[in-house]
Amino acid sequence: MLTRREFVVSAGGFAVAVQLPAAWAADAADAPASPPTTGAANFVTAYLEIDAEGMVTLHSPTTEMGQGTHTGHAVIVADELGVDLERVRVVTAEPADPFRRGGQMGSGGSWGVRHWYTPLRTAAAQAREMLLAAAAAQWSVPAGELALANGEVVHAGSQRRTGLGPLAAAAGRVQPPAAPKLRDKSEFRYTGRPVPRVDLAPKVRGEPVFASDIERPGTVHACARLSPVFGATLDSFERDTALAVPGVLDVVAIPGGAAVVASHTWAAMRGAEALSIRFKPTPHDALDSATISREMHAGLRAEAKAIKAREDGDLAAVFAAAKTVVTADYEAPYLAHAPMEPWNCNLEIDGDGIVHIWAPVQTQDRNRDAAAAAAGVTPDKVRLHTTYLGGGFGRRLGSDGIAAAVVVARAVKRPVKFLWRREDELGQGWYRPAQVARMKAALDGEGRVRALSIRTAGPSLGASFSLQGLPAGQVDGSSVQTLRDSLYRADAFHVEWVRVDVPVPMAPWRAVGATQNGFFMECFIDEVARAASQDPYALRRALLAHDPRALNVIDTAAREAGWDQPLPAGRARGMAFVASYGSLCAEVAEVSLRDGRPFVHRVVCALDCGSIVTPDGVRSQVEGGIVQGLSAALVEAVEIAAGAAQNRNFDRYPILRMQDAPANIDTIIIESGAPMGGVGEPPLPPIAPAVANALHALTGKPVRKLPLTA
Amino acid sequence: MHLALTVNGQRHELDVEPEMPLLWALRDFLKLKGAKYGCGIAVCGACTVHLNGAAVRACVIPVSAAAGGTITTIEGLGGDHPVQRAWLELQVPQCGYCQCGQIMQAAALLAQTPKPSAEQIRAGMNGNLCRCGTYPRIEAAVKRAAELTADPQRA
Repeated sequence: MLTRREFVVSAGGFAVAVQLPAAWAADAADAPASPPTTGAANFVTAYLEIDAEGMVTLHSPTTEMGQGTHTGHAVIVADELGVDLERVRVVTAEPADPFRRGGQMGSGGSWGVRHWYTPLRTAAAQAREMLLAAAAAQWSVPAGELALANGEVVHAGSQRRTGLGPLAAAAGRVQPPAAPKLRDKSEFRYTGRPVPRVDLAPKVRGEPVFASDIERPGTVHACARLSPVFGATLDSFERDTALAVPGVLDVVAIPGGAAVVASHTWAAMRGAEALSIRFKPTPHDALDSATISREMHAGLRAEAKAIKAREDGDLAAVFAAAKTVVTADYEAPYLAHAPMEPWNCNLEIDGDGIVHIWAPVQTQDRNRDAAAAAAGVTPDKVRLHTTYLGGGFGRRLGSDGIAAAVVVARAVKRPVKFLWRREDELGQGWYRPAQVARMKAALDGEGRVRALSIRTAGPSLGASFSLQGLPAGQVDGSSVQTLRDSLYRADAFHVEWVRVDVPVPMAPWRAVGATQNGFFMECFIDEVARAASQDPYALRRALLAHDPRALNVIDTAAREAGWDQPLPAGRARGMAFVASYGSLCAEVAEVSLRDGRPFVHRVVCALDCGSIVTPDGVRSQVEGGIVQGLSAALVEAVEIAAGAAQNRNFDRYPILRMQDAPANIDTIIIESGAPMGGVGEPPLPPIAPAVANALHALTGKPVRKLPLTA
Repeated sequence: MHLALTVNGQRHELDVEPEMPLLWALRDFLKLKGAKYGCGIAVCGACTVHLNGAAVRACVIPVSAAAGGTITTIEGLGGDHPVQRAWLELQVPQCGYCQCGQIMQAAALLAQTPKPSAEQIRAGMNGNLCRCGTYPRIEAAVKRAAELTADPQRA
C-alpha cells in the first residue's frame, strides 16, 4: 500500500488541479504561530477574532462554495478551543501567509479539511493557552489551575470565571506557544457527530450572502459582452447601439470584449445584447468538436509522440507471452462547470487607490494578483473579500473574470457590480478537458491480468490553466491522474500521454483528471472481466489483492449493494472503484432503462477517507458528487463549432434534473484510520463508469464514449 | 412607466419599463435579493417566486404582468415556513444559490398538493436545477415539509 506521502506526491492531478507550485502538494507545517494579519486588537493568532461578548470569528483559509468546509473548520475550532459551536462564526480570510498552502491561498484538490485539520486545531489550542495565560496574569494564579470549557475560563479553586471576550486583547499580546497541548479527543463535543451547517440558515432565508446580493452606495451595473470564439480579442464596437437602450450609461472595452455600464442590471444586460461588436479573427475560427476528436484520436496512433508516465515491468515481454489481449478506445468530452451563479463581483476603488473586491473566488492570491495587475497597483493595495460561492467546482480557481471589473471601475470611477450572462459563464471555456484513451490488457491462460498498457491523448490542462504553462516533453499530471497512481497491480503496467494542443481554455473540474481516467479505466476493467468470463468485482479483487484497505472498500460496496443478489428483470448493477485525493471510493449503481434512458435506482457508495469531522457533511458531498458525476455521464458535453461553444445556456447544455437523479443513495463512510483524505471530489469519478458498467451488463454493449445519451 | 407591485404584503410604487423582468425589479429596485439570476430564459428555476400563489420564473415575467397581482418572494415566506424548517432539518443546501428558487417551488407545490408522492415531487421540482446535486435531499425535505404542514406540532 502506498503511504500517504507517496500518495500525495504520486496523485499528481491535484497539484496541477489547483495550479500551484510543487510545494503546494507537500504537507505543510503544523504549527501556525502567527500574529494577527489585520492589526485588529481582538485577534488571538491570525485565525481567531474574539469580540467583547465572546463570539469567535474564525478566519478560514478556505472558500465556502457549498462543500461545507466552513462548518468543518468551525467544528475543529469549537472543539479544540472549548466553545459552543453556535459561538463560532466563519468568514474566508483575506490572503495572507497563515492561510496559504505552498505560497498560495485557495480552495481546491479536496484539501479543505484534510490539510487544515491540524493547523486549525493547533491554532485553536494556541489561542486557548494564550487566553488561559491572560486570565492567569489577571487573577495572579498559575495557568495550570485554569480550564477553558463551554466558552468560559474557570479557576476551580476560587470559583472565578470569565467569558473569553474580556481576555481577548490581553491574550492577543501573549507569545503564541510553539507547541500547544492538544485536547484529548474524548473532550470533543462536535467532531464526528451531526451538527447543523454554519452557512445554511441565511441561505434558507434568502439573506444576501452572494456577491451579487451586495449593494454598495453609488454602484453602477456592468454586463460583459465577450467573444464567443475562445480567446478572441476585441476589434471594435459601436457604442451608440448600446447607449440606445434606456438606462445604459457607457460602454467600456475590457479584455475579450466590452462591458455595458448601466444604472441597473437589466439595462446592462439588454445593452450588452444590443451592442454591435466585432472581434479579431483567430487561427481557430473554424475549430469544431469533430476536428478536436479526430486530432485526439490521431494521438492514439503508434507514430504519435508519447510521454511516459508509468513504466512498471517489461510490457513487451508480458504482452508477447499473453494468451489473450483485450483492447478498447474511449472518449470523454469537454465539460462545463456550470455553477448556478454566473460570474460576478463587486469592485470599487477608494480615494486612496485601494481596490476593494467582493467576489466568489476559489483562489484568493491568483485573483488578487490579477486585480492588482489590472489596476496597476501592488497586491497589498487590493482588499479581496471572498463571498459565499454559488458553486465553484473548479471554475472559480481561475481569475479570468476579475480584470474586466477593475477596468470598468477605473473607467467609470464608480463602484461597479460586474456580471456575466449565463451564455458567457458557459461559453467562455475553462472546461474539463476532452480526452481519449487506448486501453490494453494482457491476460494469461488462467484469465489473470498480467499487464496493463494505457495511452491517453488530449489537451493539457496544465498548459492551459497554469500561469507557468507546461513545458514541452513534460507529462500533464491530470491527463494521467488515477492511472499512473492506480492501485491496481500487474506484472507490467505502463501509462503514457500524448499532448494534443487545442485552443480551448481549460480549468480543473471537480475531481479533475480522475473524471475521464476513472471512466476509461473502470469501464475497461469490466470489458476485460467479460473477455475473461469473470465477475467484474472478482477481477477488481484480484487486481487489488495486495491492498487490504482497497479490498475493504470494494467489499463494503459490494456487500451493501447485495452484489450477489438477483435483481428484477431489466435491471443490472455496475461497479467502479477510483482512488483520488487521498481517499478510496467504490460505487455500485443499479440501473434500468426508462423510455430508453438510463435510470439509476440506487447507488451504494463506500468511501474510505481515513477519518472525518462532519459525518453529514461527508454524506452531502457523496450525494452531490454522485449527482454531478451522473449528470456528466448522462447528458453533458460542450459542443464546439466555429471556434466557439454552441451550447451556452441550460436549454442546450443540460445538467441533470431531479427526475433523472438516483432514487436512492446509500453512503457508507469508512473511518479506517488512514491519514485523512479528501471528500469533495473522490465520490464523483466512480459514478460514470459504475452506471456505464451496469448498462453494459444490461445491454451487452460496452460504453466507450460519454455522454451516455448522446 | 409607473407601476404598483404588491410584494410580501407590501405595496411598492416603481418607475420602470413595463417589459423589465420581475426578477430585476425585485433585485435592483426593491432590493429583495433572494430570487437569483441563473439563466434568464426560464429553464433553471433559480429566480422562482410566487405570483398569486403559483410558482413563476421571475427572469422572464415582465414586471407589468405581475403588477396588480400578489407576489411572494423567499423574504416573504417568514423564515419559519414548513419548507424552510424541513430544509434546515435535512440540511438540504450546499452552495445555496438555487435554493431560494427550490424552496419557493416546493412551497407552491405543497400548497397545491399537500401530500405529494415521490413521483409528484420529482415532477413538480423538475424545473429547478441544482448543480451541487442536492436533489435527493430536496425530495426528502419536500416530504418532510408535507408532514410539518399537516401537523405543525411535529418536531
